[in-house]
Amino acid sequence: MADAAALLLALQMGDSAFPSGGFGFSWGLETLKSDGLVRDGADVIAFAQAQLWHRWASADRPVLRAALAARGDLNRLAALDREVEAMNLAVEQREGSRRMGRALVRSHVTMDTPGAKAFQAAQREGRVLGHLPVAQGVVWGGAGLDIDGAEAVSAFAVAAGVGQAAVRLALIGPVEAQAMIAGLRGTIAALLARPCPDRPHAFVPAAEIAVMRHESGEARLFAN
Amino acid sequence: MTAATTGHPGAARVGIGGPVGSGKTALLEQLIPRFAVRGTRLAVITNDLVTKEDAERLRRSGLIAPERVLAVEAGACPHTVIREDPTLNLDAADLLEERFSPLDLILLESGGDNLASTFSLELVDYWMFVIDVAGGGDIPRKKGPGVVQADILVINKPDLATHVGVDLDAMVAEARAVRGDRPVLVTNCRNGEGVDAVVEAIARDVLFDGGT
Repeated sequence: MADAAALLLALQMGDSAFPSGGFGFSWGLETLKSDGLVRDGADVIAFAQAQLWHRWASADRPVLRAALAARGDLNRLAALDREVEAMNLAVEQREGSRRMGRALVRSHVTMDTPGAKAFQAAQREGRVLGHLPVAQGVVWGGAGLDIDGAEAVSAFAVAAGVGQAAVRLALIGPVEAQAMIAGLRGTIAALLARPCPDRPHAFVPAAEIAVMRHESGEARLFAN
Repeated sequence: MTAATTGHPGAARVGIGGPVGSGKTALLEQLIPRFAVRGTRLAVITNDLVTKEDAERLRRSGLIAPERVLAVEAGACPHTVIREDPTLNLDAADLLEERFSPLDLILLESGGDNLASTFSLELVDYWMFVIDVAGGGDIPRKKGPGVVQADILVINKPDLATHVGVDLDAMVAEARAVRGDRPVLVTNCRNGEGVDAVVEAIARDVLFDGGT
């Protein structure tokens, strides 16, 4: 086991109670449910697997890794942010990523996490956009997480976030969600053991179309 | 209005909570024109639970510039978005202040919730809880945290008391008994009766301009 301090830090950063607004986003799941395309636990697992394999591992992970390494280099962080902005076709996907990033940074500013205040100031001046994986790299690095810890926490947050949204959409029960996350731990471990791609890319078309359809849809429990 | 008077930079932030259908949006619709007359520079955040209906209703009301109304989705968690994790509402308040600075007051309307609903003081400086007569005369007696802890308890729809078998005077007396010295105000948000007292309380306690 990792040393206790590192483990406790990772647990706190990955705690779903950490105020960063994650409960407000479903990343397409709300619309896929209302369209009848995600109906049960097996569908939710497939959705979570797709988010992990084809978005988190290929897009969020390399951005997070680069942002954590580039902490304090606002020009580099701004370039990463622009790349994330350009990659996210759906408006609510882009806005969701920026909103969650700002919310995460805001909490860390209040907690005096090193680097958070300067990044928030740059955000407010419009020098950086503050997308979620960039913000995670900045504040988690500032809090003392190393790259392995940050990657694990970030991937876990995707799995846990899908689980929580699915419970609130009444697609699965709360214990079923934990069973799903238990299974996804193996997926995450396998992804973490693979080399990180140099360039971010993502391909989750059903989820992205659902996020686009959400903009004008009736279902509004979630922000996307 | 300065940081010295509100405890944080920028506009005062006032929450409006309460059960579904108690009259939170109707109260907002009565408050907005009164603050406009006073010259209070205002913006609004709504936490609609399942739709954008409250935000759209306000935007179309003609009472306030539509861009000064932001909707924050609660992910089916009306408690969470105002208490356990208010960051999305804080972010919306920051955006309104950036866009419309200087603002004096931001009103935050919670999604309809239950009697245990309370606002975090990390989000608001002051908050009101709106209940209504038709919801039952026994609501104050239950001493829900919303009823007891809010800075103002608003009891709405007094005109319905005789139709739903509620003794309004007893309801108000019980509310006062559970709240000590803190205000209990009776409003009819359909015709505006009693709303001036809410504006005066906010002006006196939050805006520090002495009321009207």
